[in-house]
Amino acid sequence: MSGGHGAHVDNSIWMRAVMMGGIFLTIGVLLFATLGVFMANEKHHVWEELEDDYHHMEVQFAMDSSEEGANISAHEAEELDHLHHEEIAAHLSYLTYRVAGITILLMSITYAAFIGVGGFLNASKPNAEHGDGHDDGHDEHHGSSSPIIFAFGIMLFLAGFPDFAIACKAMLNADVTADLGMLSLSIVGLLTIVIAVANWWFEDLPFNGHGEQIATSYPFEGEHIRKAGLWVFIMSEIMVFATFFSSYLRMRTEWCTDWAIDSGVEACSGVEKGTVVTASDLLRHDFATLLPGAINTFALIISSYTIVLALKTAKNAKWERSTGIMGKIMPTRKAEIRNYLIATLALGSLFIVLKLVEWSHLVAEGFDIGTTQGSIFYIATGAHGLHVFIGLLVMLYLVFKADTVGFDEDNAQGIEYFGLYWHFVDLAWVVIFPAFYLY
Amino acid sequence: MGEHMEIMGKDIYFWNFIVLMFFTLFEVAAVFYDVIPGTEIEVTKMMVWAVLIIVGIIKGFGIAAFFMHLKDDPRIYTRTALFPVLFVILMLWGIGLSNPAGVTELPSWCTPNWDYATR
Repeated sequence: MSGGHGAHVDNSIWMRAVMMGGIFLTIGVLLFATLGVFMANEKHHVWEELEDDYHHMEVQFAMDSSEEGANISAHEAEELDHLHHEEIAAHLSYLTYRVAGITILLMSITYAAFIGVGGFLNASKPNAEHGDGHDDGHDEHHGSSSPIIFAFGIMLFLAGFPDFAIACKAMLNADVTADLGMLSLSIVGLLTIVIAVANWWFEDLPFNGHGEQIATSYPFEGEHIRKAGLWVFIMSEIMVFATFFSSYLRMRTEWCTDWAIDSGVEACSGVEKGTVVTASDLLRHDFATLLPGAINTFALIISSYTIVLALKTAKNAKWERSTGIMGKIMPTRKAEIRNYLIATLALGSLFIVLKLVEWSHLVAEGFDIGTTQGSIFYIATGAHGLHVFIGLLVMLYLVFKADTVGFDEDNAQGIEYFGLYWHFVDLAWVVIFPAFYLY
Repeated sequence: MGEHMEIMGKDIYFWNFIVLMFFTLFEVAAVFYDVIPGTEIEVTKMMVWAVLIIVGIIKGFGIAAFFMHLKDDPRIYTRTALFPVLFVILMLWGIGLSNPAGVTELPSWCTPNWDYATR
């Protein structure tokens, strides 16, 4: 985002961000009520009935066998096993709706708070402060203090994060008490982040593409500084994901997984199958368990394409309205860009929802973070999920800008540079998905 | 940007998207099926490995070259993107393959105790 000189934007426009927040909250509450309450309760009843049936049958068979002095028959065991599987399936079905509903609610609250508070803060500012604060009549970039304030906020937030996490647990009635000093530090950090982001938006919204800073020395001479900076950032991100991947590889080559035993690895001779269980052992063999991960892979690829389409439309000065249904959905260039960005936002949100549903299933099956296999799986896929989520928060602003000021061939850099980040997140998933889900 | 390049009336981004979707399906199918559908050819672990690695490279190339515009952008961006690869390789070798079995199965020149004098 830039602090460059740009078109005048009235502060009242920011109130639309507050309205957007309200829309997100409404959608979230409605989906939560439908999926997380109504549907989940229905599924819960089914699960409870099956659980009762299972225990009843188990007790009945045990009593019968003790009366007859023999073990239960093969048919009875099969019947019991079948009911047990049905009960597990019902439990997972209940978890799917419940977790999806709660995740959607929490995400919509975060979206609403992020865009709503940012919009409100900016709407409260006097109009004269808008832009770069210099009425000097030339398109020169004056830099922005927002990124460094943002980084400072993150530092404060992370310094108090352990107690922030404990406070969150305490809110869920856990028997823990957070250190108020560190918790306050974390909350101050969060507020600093929100203020910095809001100010960053305030500087960027009027940016019309004029005054982009250009590098004047080797090796990026003539290139946009923001683009070069983003690539350096991606470079550091590659290193972050490489640490997860190399740690996983380090552990994985040592584990006697079913895969290693089947492949005849010498060090695993004599080891029984099922001794070491990885997430992929639980996910890859069944269509239903692999489905969320597979849908997520397609969702990310499609979202990469939709953001490319948004950029392509923004850069197309000779844009013409499409014929047929696409022309009706996207009657103007501005609407087309906005709708492609909304589609990207929806696909990214779907990714997070499915990820948490999948996690809940794994935890219900006993695969939690307490094992080394669970630890590396949840840390690596969680770090990736966090990147997706942060991307979605940035996308909220892009949707807002596309809906208000709009993007065109001059100021499309915002979409292009965010797109680079988003494609990188997709690229990281290209490695994570086969390594953690398929192998 | 490469949007001017068209194949059958569609731009390069569309075809890249189709290729990515196809290879993802292929990737998932390779793991999901024990036998190649319609044949009796068994899908071995080695085959799955090969598919996952090759498909990963193709998909990675498609995203980086076309979606991230590295193909048409100045070479400095490609060099920037490739710079950490050196460290990634070192990490994969130094950390990823550093378990006892990993080391003993590596060629001698690739092990920490390799002695130059024995070349």
